[in-house]
Amino acid sequence: MNDKIRRIYVPMTETGFYILFCLQKPQHGYGIGQQVKQMTDGAVIISPGTMYGTLSKMEKDGLIRFHSSEDKRKLYEITTLGQEVLHLEINRIARLYKNSREELPHE
Amino acid sequence: MSETKLRIRIYTVADFYEEENWLREEHQKGWKLTKMTPPCFYLFEKCEPEDVIYRLDYKNSTGTDDYMQMMQDYEWEYFAQCIGWLYFRKPASRITTENEGELFSDNASRIDMLQHVIRTRMLPLLIIFLCCVIPNTLKSFDNEFGTIFTIFWVIMFVIYALIFIHCGRKLWILKKDLE
Repeated sequence: MNDKIRRIYVPMTETGFYILFCLQKPQHGYGIGQQVKQMTDGAVIISPGTMYGTLSKMEKDGLIRFHSSEDKRKLYEITTLGQEVLHLEINRIARLYKNSREELPHE
Repeated sequence: MSETKLRIRIYTVADFYEEENWLREEHQKGWKLTKMTPPCFYLFEKCEPEDVIYRLDYKNSTGTDDYMQMMQDYEWEYFAQCIGWLYFRKPASRITTENEGELFSDNASRIDMLQHVIRTRMLPLLIIFLCCVIPNTLKSFDNEFGTIFTIFWVIMFVIYALIFIHCGRKLWILKKDLE
C-alpha cells in the first residue's frame, strides 16, 4: 500500500467504510445502499450521487474491481488492496471502541 | 395536447440550488418542467399540483447506463439535461429521511461535484477571458476598427467579468462552507 492510498483512505468516512465492508461479497451500488440501511437501522443512508462517486473513486484507486453486470447494474468486489485498507480501518475502529469503554487514567 | 408555458430564466453554473427551488415551487403550483433548452428556456406542462423535489447533478456529459440505472433504483426520475447538468425529481411523499431527498449524502461528494464544475466550466471561461476577451478589448482601443467595435468589446469585457466574478465567488463560498 502506498502513501497516497493511506492518506486518502485511512481514516475513512463512514460511507466509504460501509461500502468497502459490503463489497467483501459482490454487490451493486443500490444493493449496498439497501444493505447499509438495514445494518444501521436506517441511520446511514447513502445517496446515489455519493454512492456512484465513491465506487468510481475506489475502482480507480484499486480498492475494488468490476465483478459482473446485472442488467445495467455494475457489480463490484473488494481487491487485496481493498482488504488491507479495510483491516487497517477495522483495527483502528476496534482500538477506538476499546479505549472509549475504559475510564481515563487518573493523573 | 395539454396546456404548456414557456419561461425564460437565467441561472449560472453556480445557481443550481436556486434553480432546484424554483422548479419545486412551479410544480407545487401545478407546472412541471418537461424540457430545458439552453441557455435559458424552460418548457412547463400543466399538471396536478404536487410537492416534488428537484435535484441537479453535474456530469459534463450524458450519464452512463449504470449511473442512470442507479438513479432509477433510488427512485429519482430523470427527465431533462442541459449543458452538462442532469435533471432529476422525486415526489416529496416518497421521502422519509433527509438523505433520501438528496443526491449527495456527505460533504466529500458535494465538494467533488463543485470541483468538477469549477474545473470543466470555470477554467475554460477563464482561459477565454485571458486569451480572447482581454486582448481584443485592448486591441479595439487602437481605433483601427471604429468605436462600435470598441463598445462591443468593452460590453463583452464587463459582462464576462461580472458573470465570472459572480460564479467564481459563489462556487468558492459553497465549497468553503462544506470544507
